[in-house]
Amino acid sequence: MISVRDVLVQVGGRVILDIPLLEFEEGKRYGLIGENGSGKTTLLRVLAGTLLPTQGQVTRQNPNNFGYMPQAPYAFSFSVLRNVEMALENTPERRDNAVRALEAVGMRNFLAARGNKLSGGEAQRMAVARMIARPRKLLLLDEPTSSTDIRGTDSIENTLLDYARNSGCTLIFSTHSPAQALRLAQEVIFLHQGKILEKGPALEVLENPQTESARLFLQHWRI
Amino acid sequence: MAKTMDVIREIFGLLFGQDPELRQIIGVTLRMSTLSALVSALVGIPLGVILGSTEFKAKRFVNRILHTLMGLPPVVAGLIVFLFLSRSGPLGTLKLLFTVTAMVIAQIVLITPIMTGLTANIVSVKAPLIHETAAGIGLRPFQRMLYIIYECRVQFVSTLLTGFGRAIAEVGAVQMVGGNVQFKTRVMTTAIMMQTNMGHFEFAIALGIVLLVIAFLINSLVSRIQESAGLA
Repeated sequence: MISVRDVLVQVGGRVILDIPLLEFEEGKRYGLIGENGSGKTTLLRVLAGTLLPTQGQVTRQNPNNFGYMPQAPYAFSFSVLRNVEMALENTPERRDNAVRALEAVGMRNFLAARGNKLSGGEAQRMAVARMIARPRKLLLLDEPTSSTDIRGTDSIENTLLDYARNSGCTLIFSTHSPAQALRLAQEVIFLHQGKILEKGPALEVLENPQTESARLFLQHWRI
Repeated sequence: MAKTMDVIREIFGLLFGQDPELRQIIGVTLRMSTLSALVSALVGIPLGVILGSTEFKAKRFVNRILHTLMGLPPVVAGLIVFLFLSRSGPLGTLKLLFTVTAMVIAQIVLITPIMTGLTANIVSVKAPLIHETAAGIGLRPFQRMLYIIYECRVQFVSTLLTGFGRAIAEVGAVQMVGGNVQFKTRVMTTAIMMQTNMGHFEFAIALGIVLLVIAFLINSLVSRIQESAGLA
């Protein structure tokens, strides 16, 4: 289980995240939704440990066995294959695992391509391959399909669903798309101005939002 | 017209002839510029990497000092090194004044802050993204730092060549601490200045052409490296 207790993140005196208590159950899939600046990225960064909160604490059961994919994952200038291999231990199966992960996201033909020559969507697919190339207990993904086209999005969603189901890992991702939240997540967390306004089963939160902010956010979207 | 042709002939004669002084001047210039650029890079680039990739309390203050030093007037750098190396200065016993070593020291004082600043700027753009991505796949801080250096390698070479270009074009500081001694510390820039003052324009123009050719070669090299790394 992952828990966030009394977490407060302030930047220049402004509170950008304020979470008294948030718990994630092991093996479940969570979707963070909310408008720009609602605190989704900040929460993911705090969970990943790349941002230290001003106060409060985050507890992870398996502190080292997790993967975090930032919103703009960096594609290194070496080959796509090496970009994925760098996330793996140096074992004889390293190459095969990297190739399999790239295959899963439809990047089998890009093994020798340079990472820095990929398009935004391709780089994102490669970054997802980095995440799923080895078994992890927790995946934290910040808008994993923000640059991909419909096919790419579909491929990533299916890959993530398969990976989460097969490995039993906890998946926490942020998205601007309620439809994606519904497809991928079991639970949805709605953030607004750094605070959690709603949390519950995906369909329940998305169909019957209880707060005005969530209603406004979801009003242009119909299931 | 005939006079102009004579001048051009003389310039080409100097450039492709066996003039010992011209060759010696070019040799000293290249030796001094290469050495000072290399030493400055060895100090300045690692400092820039640290400055560009880490956050600490006094960073703003350090940046302010660095930016001041980046704009340090060459004659001031020359004066400081001169005072240190002069007979009554703290390093006077080393007897380095009016030697190529003194010129290299003055160049290092001038170029190191520039290399540090350029490196810090390059690294500060890439480092946060690389840090975040590399931390996300479980790489340790030391590994992340190596990847940052690797990803900025082409820009570091450009920085080194920028430093070399700055060193080869420098005149004020090297004149002060080198003294423009014939067959010893005379470099292209100080020679051009002296020859112009003496009215020997052919020699000055010949040296100017050599300087321009070197600048062109450096720029071509930088572009070539960037192209081969897929950055241009």
